[in-house]
Amino acid sequence: MINRRNYLRGSLAAGAGLVMGGGVAGKALSAVHDATGEGTYELFKKFKGNVLLLPGKYSGTVSALDLSVPETLAWYNYGRAGVDLPIPHHIAAMPSADPYKGFDFYQTMQPPGAPYVNENSPEWRDRGDFKMYKMRYDGSGTQNSISVVNDISATTGMALGVHVSIGVGPNAEKYVAFADGQKDMVLITTIDDDPKIVKAFRADYDPNARELTIQHIFPDASTGRFDYEGRKGMKTSHEAMLGEELMPADPTAVFVDAWTWHPKLPLGAILIRRHGCCVIVNTETWEPLALLSTAKGAPDHFELVRQQGTSWTYSIPSVLTPLHEAGFITSGEFFLACNNVLQNNIAVYRSEDPDPMKWKKEAFVEGFGDKYLPLHMGNVPDSRWVFFTIWARKPNNGFICKVDPKTWKVVAQWDTGPDPHTCDCTTDGKYITTVYSGNQSGQSGLVVIDADTDEIVARLPSPAGHHDHVVVPESWEGLKASRSTSV
Amino acid sequence: MALPVYAAGDDGSFPAAEEVGGEVFPAGLQPGDEFPMDVQLFDLEGKELTLGDIASGKPTLLTFFISAAPASVAELSNIEKFAAGKDLNIVFANSDSVGTALLGGPEAQIPETVRTVNIIKAEEKLDTPMYVAPNNVFTPEGLSNRLGFRGLPTSYLIDAEGKVVRTFVGQRDWMDGDLELISAAQQGN
Repeated sequence: MINRRNYLRGSLAAGAGLVMGGGVAGKALSAVHDATGEGTYELFKKFKGNVLLLPGKYSGTVSALDLSVPETLAWYNYGRAGVDLPIPHHIAAMPSADPYKGFDFYQTMQPPGAPYVNENSPEWRDRGDFKMYKMRYDGSGTQNSISVVNDISATTGMALGVHVSIGVGPNAEKYVAFADGQKDMVLITTIDDDPKIVKAFRADYDPNARELTIQHIFPDASTGRFDYEGRKGMKTSHEAMLGEELMPADPTAVFVDAWTWHPKLPLGAILIRRHGCCVIVNTETWEPLALLSTAKGAPDHFELVRQQGTSWTYSIPSVLTPLHEAGFITSGEFFLACNNVLQNNIAVYRSEDPDPMKWKKEAFVEGFGDKYLPLHMGNVPDSRWVFFTIWARKPNNGFICKVDPKTWKVVAQWDTGPDPHTCDCTTDGKYITTVYSGNQSGQSGLVVIDADTDEIVARLPSPAGHHDHVVVPESWEGLKASRSTSV
Repeated sequence: MALPVYAAGDDGSFPAAEEVGGEVFPAGLQPGDEFPMDVQLFDLEGKELTLGDIASGKPTLLTFFISAAPASVAELSNIEKFAAGKDLNIVFANSDSVGTALLGGPEAQIPETVRTVNIIKAEEKLDTPMYVAPNNVFTPEGLSNRLGFRGLPTSYLIDAEGKVVRTFVGQRDWMDGDLELISAAQQGN
């Protein structure tokens, strides 16, 4: 069997001294490695068609992994884009019918002041940066590559460093959303290579009145850009670590974390960690329609007390627990919110009604105790399961769990390794992928789990300190189970 | 903002709501409450002391700030200017510890935070005495849980008997009368 490298070796041996034609070189160095005949072929061939993007939060890189070989197809260090000490954070991939040929993706970046790995002493105050990049993987030529298509933070004048999610359903092929909890802002742009500002939000808390205000913010009329690049607009020097919702902070801070998209309705959710609530927004008018209060024992919604122009103020008389991520299952039937720190449970809202004021908490996934925090959420295309990352502080590892959406019970769990982070699924929905980062210095890697038999079917090492990863979806419909409806 | 020191015996638990004031934003100390004078502090040479050592028997404006929040640090200059010339003992305390994961771990936490506060004092050109007030949010005894503050700066106006007169949360336009040592409730009596 002649595989790619054997072919190349043979070509070099037979044709030493010849100038290879573009066609020959293209074939020899094409993106897809033929692993037939290699010892691991049988183990990994079932993953054909799945390309994973792995941002290395502590390596400054992003890499594209062909899980079916497995090998890294291409990688990029964000230092090449001019960022000192880049911290690639969250990621979302656009659909591609042939990810081996090419696809686009979005990458956010934050400064390195997250204290659980670095530190926030004065020497670090100016290192790193907030960035959002549109990126492109190109596997069509003789050299696979990843490159920057657009520095969206520079284009829009707003730099946000946490979650990114791409619109689906009524918002498919239109929008991408970025969020940040150091600035408490959300930005929606178009998805073209020269993105346009669509809408932006800012959230602030008034601790004396116990009110949360969400407002539209607008770019400068003369420039068409915001003035929130770099650290401008930053309320706190680092993203709050899990548990830091209880720490003292800027009094106005609410720790906006993400925007997630409803798969069927023109709705999106702004996730607010510190106050355990989610703003449900109409994506046709961009007006908030409801503020869900996700804690057990709290009302289903917080009350709107006033609206002035494009500013909406809600009364938050009591916050029973923070939350972290929240999103929709692929079918759109339920909206799930990971309450944590003071309550470790997952709130289940039925979310099929176009009016989110009618959404009610129907159940809670419970039983996580006081050491394990629901963190990230992962979907499968047919919504037969929902997966969650349950994070823990040292000395505990945390785990991944599978929840049955018919009973809202945990039906399987895996201690995949210390410091587990996001879950995603292969394009066929058969396997769950998840990363763990060893508290930024220890055991770390990528684990693949059979979603139905519960067997861990692969474990690959990685030293990059992954906080996120994504499988490139094959279609816009497939994107609904990726970084869109949930994060 | 660093996680609290991971020490032997820390089993990784998170607190229950009832252990930290019932919710994320507890009511905290109210006017008339006695302010605990045993709050642990470290001065800018790293020497350990208590709040009582520097505030007992003195009308005091105690401002907790956090080095990680720019607005919190910026407010210190405003307070210092407003309080200048007033017959008050002004104290600034950083209720935060900087991260030390790359600097030797927990053992470096207090020295590194002391170093950070020294730099802030110099950069902001502050004359007010500044301290480090260690905090651990995962225990009920942690400073911010014990006192019930979440937004910083939070300033406590404390009378000579050690009782809270007023509490100020966040940045503000300081006004005449803010630092009167007789509370509004008392004035009404």
